[in-house]
Amino acid sequence: MATLRAHGIEAQLPAGFEGRIFTRASSDGAVPYPVAQFASFPLPVQVGDFGGGAVNLLGNSDIFTVLFEYGPESVGRHLFARQGMPRALGSSDFRPYALRRGLPGQSGTQWFFTEGGRPFTLYVVLGSHLGRDALVPKVNQLLARVAVVPAGQSEAPPGPPSDATGGLPWN
Amino acid sequence: MVALAVVVSVVVLLMAVLVAGLLRSHADILRALHELGVGVGEPGGDRSRDQGPTGVPVTMGPPLPGERSSTSARSVAGVTPDGDALAVSPGGAGHATLLAFLSSGCATCAGFWRSFEQPDRLGLPPGTRLIVITKGPELEVPAEVTGKAHRGLTVIMSTEAWVDYEVPGAPFFVLVDGRSGRRIGEGVANHFPQVVEMVHRAAADADGFTATTTSRPFADGLDGPEREAANDRELLAAGIHPGDPSLYPRSLDDIHGAVTVDRSGGHPGASRPARRAG
Repeated sequence: MATLRAHGIEAQLPAGFEGRIFTRASSDGAVPYPVAQFASFPLPVQVGDFGGGAVNLLGNSDIFTVLFEYGPESVGRHLFARQGMPRALGSSDFRPYALRRGLPGQSGTQWFFTEGGRPFTLYVVLGSHLGRDALVPKVNQLLARVAVVPAGQSEAPPGPPSDATGGLPWN
Repeated sequence: MVALAVVVSVVVLLMAVLVAGLLRSHADILRALHELGVGVGEPGGDRSRDQGPTGVPVTMGPPLPGERSSTSARSVAGVTPDGDALAVSPGGAGHATLLAFLSSGCATCAGFWRSFEQPDRLGLPPGTRLIVITKGPELEVPAEVTGKAHRGLTVIMSTEAWVDYEVPGAPFFVLVDGRSGRRIGEGVANHFPQVVEMVHRAAADADGFTATTTSRPFADGLDGPEREAANDRELLAAGIHPGDPSLYPRSLDDIHGAVTVDRSGGHPGASRPARRAG
C-alpha cells in the first residue's frame, strides 16, 4: 500500500490508486496552499487543481478526488462550518450537475469543511453516475485513509476522526 | 654488520609477536565454535559432548525481493524533487509504463537525463508513460535532481521503489504492461535508443504471447505457486499425468525432437522416431 505524505496531509492509497500532494508555485505574492489529488487511473503530469486535464480521462470505473486547502482567513466562515472531512459518502451525494466540468455520464460531489483548524474542500468525480453504487465504496475506502495534520503542528497526522458531524454537501 | 644483526633481530621479534597474535586469534575462534557446538576436536574433553549440541538462535527476516513475485509491479510512492508527494501505480494503468531508475551522479545517467529533455523525440511507443525514479532524499540531493530533470518529466524520489523492483544499480529500466499489471522487460543500457529497442521488443513479445499462446499461466501473468498450479492443471488436461515419460527426458533429442541418424548404414526408416517432451 503506497503512502503519500507532504504538506501536512497523509494518505494511504488503496491498490491501483495514484496520487500527489503538492503546492503550486507562488505567483503575485499569493501564498500557495496544498492540493491533494487521488485517482484510480494514471494521473497526467499537468492537472488543474480540480481535475482539469484529468477528468476527461475517466473511464466508467474510475474515480478522481481532490482535497484543496484554503487560507487560514477562511477558518470560521459559514462555508467551512462543518468540522471534519466527510469519510462516508453515499450514492445520493453524487449528482451529474455538481461537476465543475460537466462531462456526459460523470457525477460529482463537493464538500467544504474544516479539519484540524485547516479549511478544505473535498471534490470527488465518478466516471459513471450509473455506476455510483459500486464506485462510492471505493471513494470511502480512500477517504478513510486520508489524514490531516492540525494547523500549527508538524508531526505525523493523527488518525481519521471516527465521527464527523454537521455540515451539508455543497451540491 | 652489527646493525644488520640488530635489524634482523627486530624483524624476527616482530614476526614472532605477529604469529603469537594469530595463534591466539585462531584459538579464540575455535573456542567460540566449540561453544556453539560446531567445533572440531575435543579441547574441552568429554564435557562438551555431555552437554550436547548448543542451539544457535536463527532469526528469519522478511522475504527478500527475489522471493516475491518476480513480475509483480508495485506502486511507486515517494516525493518529487520539489518536496511534493507523488504515487503512481504502473500495474493499474491501461498502457505501458517505463520506469527509469537513475541517479544524479552517475556518468552514464547523464546521457539519459539529456535524452529526457526532449520527451517528444524519445521514440517510445505511443501511450508509453515514462517515470524517472531516483533514490530518496536521504540518499540523493533533491536540488541536483531538479537541475537534471526536465520540467515536464515525472520524477519520484523513492529508495523503497529501488528495493521493490530489485534494482542492481543505475541506470536500470523496467517496463510494466498496464493491461496485465506485470513487468514484461527490464535491464540496463548505455543509451536511450537501446532502451527504446528493448521496449518495442518487450511489447511485441507480450502482445505475441497474449495473442497466440495457449499457456494461460503466462498470458495471465501468473507467478510463483499459482503459476505452478496452473501448469499442473494444463498438463493434466493434456493427459500428461505424474510419471509420464515425457516429463523425464533422457537426452536433448527427447526435448527438441531431433531425428536420430542411423549410423549403422541400415534403412533410414529403422531410426528411432523422435519423441517430443510434453
